[in-house]
Amino acid sequence: MLLSIGMIAAAILIGVPLYYILVNSFKTQADMVTSPLGLPQEWFFGNWQDTLTDAGMYRSFANTIYVTVLGVALQLVVGAMAAYAMIISSSRTTKILGAVLLLGFIVPGQSTMIPLYRTLVGFNLVDDLNGLVVMYLGGSIFCYFLIQGYMRTLPFEVIEAARIDGASANQIFWRIVLPLIKPILVTVGVFQTMWVWNDFLLPTVFISSPQKKTVVLEVYNAVSEFTTDWPAFMTVTVVALIPMVVFFIFTQRHIVSGLLSGSVKG
Amino acid sequence: MNRAFLIPAIVVFVFLFVIPLGQSFYWSLTDFTGYDPELSFIGLANYSTILNDPSMLAGLGFTLMFAVGTMVVVTLVAIPLAVQMNKAFFGKNFVRSLWFFPAVPSMAILGLVWSYILSPLPSGVLNTLLNRWFGVDAVSWLSDDTLARWSVVFVGVWAQAGWHAVLYLAYLQSIPHEYYEVAKIDGASPRQQFFGITLPLLTPAMVISSFLLLTNGLKVFDLPYTLTGGGPGFSTYTITQSIIVSGVSQGRYGLASALAVMFTVAVGVIGFSQLKLTSVISRRFV
Repeated sequence: MLLSIGMIAAAILIGVPLYYILVNSFKTQADMVTSPLGLPQEWFFGNWQDTLTDAGMYRSFANTIYVTVLGVALQLVVGAMAAYAMIISSSRTTKILGAVLLLGFIVPGQSTMIPLYRTLVGFNLVDDLNGLVVMYLGGSIFCYFLIQGYMRTLPFEVIEAARIDGASANQIFWRIVLPLIKPILVTVGVFQTMWVWNDFLLPTVFISSPQKKTVVLEVYNAVSEFTTDWPAFMTVTVVALIPMVVFFIFTQRHIVSGLLSGSVKG
Repeated sequence: MNRAFLIPAIVVFVFLFVIPLGQSFYWSLTDFTGYDPELSFIGLANYSTILNDPSMLAGLGFTLMFAVGTMVVVTLVAIPLAVQMNKAFFGKNFVRSLWFFPAVPSMAILGLVWSYILSPLPSGVLNTLLNRWFGVDAVSWLSDDTLARWSVVFVGVWAQAGWHAVLYLAYLQSIPHEYYEVAKIDGASPRQQFFGITLPLLTPAMVISSFLLLTNGLKVFDLPYTLTGGGPGFSTYTITQSIIVSGVSQGRYGLASALAVMFTVAVGVIGFSQLKLTSVISRRFV
């Protein structure tokens, strides 16, 4: 009982900042200054009206969805293809290659950012959503790493049987292997989605046009726009966080299993 | 035929890792600015510039402080938290979810939220509450060098403690219950059980968790950038911010590349020592 009360109190303390932005999005500026943590004296919906009628907010969501869906799907396909090739033809060359690929797992993004920025300028991919997708492809190495670990636990008779029946390598990959590895694709996909959706580093370096902003960048810029109007900023933040809350509720189980498989093997 | 499936990964690896790393290393030895195609070799001059530049040294210093600070504090918070979460109590799932949640949204957005809470102005949330409840004058959370540094570390701990507690929890659940029963029969106190059974068996988890905290801490950028903007002065500047400012904004590619090379080496050395440490520790305990 005592433990319950103590733990719930500690958890609520952790949750206060989230409560704070939610409750203040329903206040006027003056109301917020008089009571930053209390309930609104009068529920005010002006901030929500402004945010929900702002075309920039919708555009930033569309941009982020585009980059996340395309970026994560490509990472998963590239990673799964490499993992499949590695498992199927385990010659010495592929083993060495596998070890070399792991380097891409260790090198931090910051180390390659400056030359890649120059290269992407040359391809007209800076300030372009597709440029961001290209940058996020670097995550395929991480996908490869986790997927091949999972593939080692699979029964290979199925693939052998399909090959004997005359299925081509392509057919085997798309029709048999991908459905078989669905659990790990979901786990890794959830993880990479969190990374791409939340990323601030690459959008802030690579994106400059207002029409191409991602959600995180949009919120960051809202701060300078609303320097004094805190409740307006709180509302934008809450709107940006809602998809993450929904995502969290539906994928919590996968996030935890990904955390464990990623960390246990990493 | 099957090897063709490796091609996309190899292309990604060559174009996104091998070539840029090579370019970084090459540029780090030159005075390349991006505009003038004529670049000349200047040896290690960029490296010595970094070691004499106050902003870059500040970035190195704070990045290290953040990485080590969050590693130590998160570990000290997460292990007891995991031990408590491993017991049965009312509201367990709610508590675990709430602690875990801050790890899910973007750190950049959370940094902005905390910048309002910790605002050094008298109208900042924390300052308002401190004043109302205890009559304390406005505390300069984000405008004093030392306080600003610790504020960033604190928010980093807030965001990551629950995540790492869940990691420890998974390892705790794999400890056989009989160990504790035998210890109880032998008359071991809860304290002795914790230090004699729980902590040693958590060693593999501690190795993994501290490795993740350390490497992620070295890569930190979002949180200090949105919470303090690197200030006051350069007190919460990070290596990543230095690379972006000198490389992308100022076009000093040579300098930024030298910084990137130093950074890669540092992360590599830590990764390698970690591997060594893990094998030594697992030989001892498992």
